[in-house]
Amino acid sequence: MTEQIKEKTLAPEVDFSTAREMSRYLIEPEAMYVGAPGKHGYLRLGFELDKTGKSILRDLDRRHPLIVQQELYFDEEMPELPCVYILSSGGPNVDGDRYRQDITVKKDAFAFVSTGAATKLAEMRFNYSGLVQNIVLEDNAYLEFMPEPVIPCRHTRFISDTRLCVADSATVFYSEIFMGGRKYYKEGELFKYDILSVCSHGERPDGRQLFREKFVIDPLVENPRNLGVMGKFDVFANVIVMTPKDKADEIYNATEAFIDRKNMIAAGITRLPNDAGLLYKVLGMEPGPVKKLVREFCSTVRKTVKGRPVPPEFPWR
Amino acid sequence: MTEDKDIITVMRLLQFTDSTFPVGTFSFSNGLETASFEKIVTDAGSLEAFARSQARQAAFSDGVAALHAHRAFLKGDYEACREIDNYLIMFKMNAEARLMIKRMGKKLAELAVRLFDNDLISRWLADIKSDDTPGTYPVAQGLVFAAAGIGEKDLFCSHQYGIVNMVLSAALRCVKVSHYDTQLILETLANEVPALYDEASQMEPKDMNAFYPELDILASLHEKGNMRMFMN
Repeated sequence: MTEQIKEKTLAPEVDFSTAREMSRYLIEPEAMYVGAPGKHGYLRLGFELDKTGKSILRDLDRRHPLIVQQELYFDEEMPELPCVYILSSGGPNVDGDRYRQDITVKKDAFAFVSTGAATKLAEMRFNYSGLVQNIVLEDNAYLEFMPEPVIPCRHTRFISDTRLCVADSATVFYSEIFMGGRKYYKEGELFKYDILSVCSHGERPDGRQLFREKFVIDPLVENPRNLGVMGKFDVFANVIVMTPKDKADEIYNATEAFIDRKNMIAAGITRLPNDAGLLYKVLGMEPGPVKKLVREFCSTVRKTVKGRPVPPEFPWR
Repeated sequence: MTEDKDIITVMRLLQFTDSTFPVGTFSFSNGLETASFEKIVTDAGSLEAFARSQARQAAFSDGVAALHAHRAFLKGDYEACREIDNYLIMFKMNAEARLMIKRMGKKLAELAVRLFDNDLISRWLADIKSDDTPGTYPVAQGLVFAAAGIGEKDLFCSHQYGIVNMVLSAALRCVKVSHYDTQLILETLANEVPALYDEASQMEPKDMNAFYPELDILASLHEKGNMRMFMN
C-alpha cells in the first residue's frame, strides 16, 4: 500500500541540465521555482485489452496541469479505438515547467492520443520548459500519437526527449508539428524564439538502440530561413513511424515525396536506420495543409496495418 | 628531422583530401542535383547557401564522429571506434546518406590497410566485411588521419573541405556557375570553419544534432525520383 501511495505522489524527475544547448538557460525563475506543484505535470496512460478483447485505458495517473479524463470511442472508421485527448489546465508552458508523459500500449492493444488544443510555449526570461516522454509498445500493439501543433513565442526555450520503445511486431505513429511562431501576432513572431531542442530515439524492448534524431533550432546561431533549413517555409512536421519492415515498404511505396512551389508545401519520406521504420517530413506555410498531409499519412499507415483509413478531421479542429 | 615529419604529414593531408583520392566522392551530389532541378539552387548565391547548410549539417554529425574516432584511435580504444560508428548510423536519418557514408567508409578502409600496417584498422575492415560494424566514412577518416599522424584540427578541415568540394564539383555539372564562383564560395566558407570546429570539438556523441528539413525533403525526392546523374 505504501509503495502504491509513493508511486502516486512522486512525479518522476525531468532534468535537462546536462543538455549542452540549454546551458545558457539554467537560471531559476523569479516566480515559482522549477518543479513546483502545478509546474511539474505528469501523465501515465496504460492501454490494454480487457477480458472481452476491448482495448481500454486501464491505467491512468496524472499530475496538474496535465489532464486526461477518460477514453472515448469516437473514431467512425475504427469504433473500437480508444481515443484520448491530453489537456493542460495551466495555459501555455512557462519557464521552469517540467512535463513527463508515459504511454504504454500492451500486447495487441491499440489507441489514439492527441491534445485538446495547440501547445503554446510562452515567452521565457529565466529558465526553460522541458518534456520527457516514454512511449512503450508491446507485441503487436498499435498507437497513433497525433497532437495539435506546438506554437513557440518570442524567447521561448523548449527541450524534449522522447523514447520510443517498440516491439518489432508493433506499430507507432508519432507526429509533431512545429509552428515557426505566432505568425500574425503584432509584426509577426516567426523564429523569434530562443531555442527548440527536440530529440526522439527508438529502441527495442531488449534495449537495442535503433535510431536517434535530434534537432536543435537556435535562431541566435543559425538563421532558420537559410536555404536547406526552413527556407521560405513557416511550419514543419516530423513524423516517425516504427513498424515491421514489410509494412514500412508498403507505406513507403504508397507515400509521395514532392515540392509544390505554387502552393508552398513539400513532403519527404525516408527509411529509418536499422530497419526501424519510416521518417516523414512536411514543410508548409500554414498549419491546416500541413496537418492535412500528416493525417493523410496516418491514414496510409492505418490502412496498411489495420486495414482501415483515418476518418476526416472534425470540422472544429 | 621534425621538419621532415611535418612535411610528410602535410603531404598525407593533401593526399587524403584530394578529390581524386579513390573513395568515390565524385559520384555523389549530396542532393544538389534535385535542388537544381527544383530550382532551389539556381546561381552562385543559392549554391553558397546550399553548400553552407551541407557543411553545417556535416560538422555537427559526421564531424563530431570523425573527431571522436580520431581520439579513440589515439587511445587504442577499438570499442569506442565501433561505438561511434554505430552511433553515427543511428543518427543518419536519410537512407541514401547512410549508403553513401558506408560505401565510402569501406573504400577508405580497404585503401588504408594497404597504406598502413595497423592492427586496429585491419580489425575494423574485417568487422565491416563481416557486418559487425557499419564502417562509416567519417569514422574511417578519423582512424586513417590518426594513423597517418595528422592532428584532429586538420582532420576536421579535410572533412569540411570534402563536403563543400563534393557539392561544388557537382555544381559545375548541374548549376549555372563558373569555376570562379565555386572557388569564391570555397574561400568564403573556409572562414566559417574555425567556429564550426570550436563547437564540434566540444560535442559528445549525444550532442550530435541536425535541423535541415529542406535538405531532407530534397534527399527524399532524389531517393524516390528518376534523376540519376549521380549515384544513389
